[in-house]
Amino acid sequence: MLKPHLTRDSAEQYILGALSPESAATLEAHTLECEPCARLLQEEALLSEQLQEVAQSFPPEVRVIRPARWHVRRVAAGAVSAALAAAASLALVLLPGGRGSHPSTVVSGGVAPAALELELDAPRAIVVACPDLATQDSCAQAAEERGLLVQSPLGTTGNVPRYEARTGLPEGALSARRPVSL
Amino acid sequence: MSAAVQGLRMTLRMPKEAEERVEPEVARPADEDALARRALGGDRAAWDALVARHHRRVVVSLLARGVRVDRAHELAQETWARLIQQQQRGLLTELRLPNLALTQAAFLAADDARRSRRESISGAVEELPERQHPVDPSVSAERRLLSEEQLSRAHAALAQVSPSARNVFLLACDGQELPHAEVAARVGLSVQRVRQILCEVRKKLRTALEEETHA
Repeated sequence: MLKPHLTRDSAEQYILGALSPESAATLEAHTLECEPCARLLQEEALLSEQLQEVAQSFPPEVRVIRPARWHVRRVAAGAVSAALAAAASLALVLLPGGRGSHPSTVVSGGVAPAALELELDAPRAIVVACPDLATQDSCAQAAEERGLLVQSPLGTTGNVPRYEARTGLPEGALSARRPVSL
Repeated sequence: MSAAVQGLRMTLRMPKEAEERVEPEVARPADEDALARRALGGDRAAWDALVARHHRRVVVSLLARGVRVDRAHELAQETWARLIQQQQRGLLTELRLPNLALTQAAFLAADDARRSRRESISGAVEELPERQHPVDPSVSAERRLLSEEQLSRAHAALAQVSPSARNVFLLACDGQELPHAEVAARVGLSVQRVRQILCEVRKKLRTALEEETHA
């Protein structure tokens, strides 16, 4: 019992493996004789184990998907013009046949909005930019589960999942000016 | 995706800041896997390397269970001996460290406690195993598991820590058992500084974990 008692610091250093072999041996010998010090050492070891648990369950990084706005706009613009063209052709080809007697009363305004709405409900391409290589796997998987198009920085090696009509994006994600968290 | 991801899996554990140094980082986990494979093949040097890397963690886990220091060292030795024995008998198909070693050590500790209790039942009160174990092991076993609340509080506290300190902590404690020297090399700090950071983070998290028990 002549040896000095453990301090929290020395116990911590021992657990971290920062003590020299001699001082570690002294400390160990002391804990065999001194019960409070043994308990202190156990507490530190327990804390160390708990910290491992904390570290391992800590979410790796905040996952962020960034809708590439320029791409969305381009696709949306394409979709809109396609819709308009389709509506126009529908109006031109079908309606005159259906209502042959009143070709002049065909109001394209009455048909086009419905077609446009339909088209906007259709799947949109959303590019997910994975933040970095370290989180790419989980990010791509999360995006894939949502039916988003995953673009791999390595080029065309990634699978391109089929995307569904409902992407399940957070509200306002597409119009957001800043990256939106999943 | 699989081809790309397999290539990338090597980089998953590396710190964000060190992305530009991809080459040396990639080598390590591959090295770890190769070590485990060689150990499964009966390579003694590979076993030695694995034991050197994970021994401390095994000892600490035993200490946390309330095993005395000297007994903890013995049980840790026996843990490795058992694992090597199992490998030699061809009973090991997979070597996931440190988890396998921790499980084996926990089993040995429980077995040890049972045996010493049985032996001392006819003995004097002084020789009861409670005298050997400073704290009731069942209590510590309960305390080992963190509650959801504690965990989320610890995560919140960890989120408050500076990113570089958090990075050091996560590297050192994520279960890979990186030696502090290697953590230091990865983040470009001295070993001394790494330990200092670990102690600081530890203090913060201890406070976060203890809040509930005092409340």
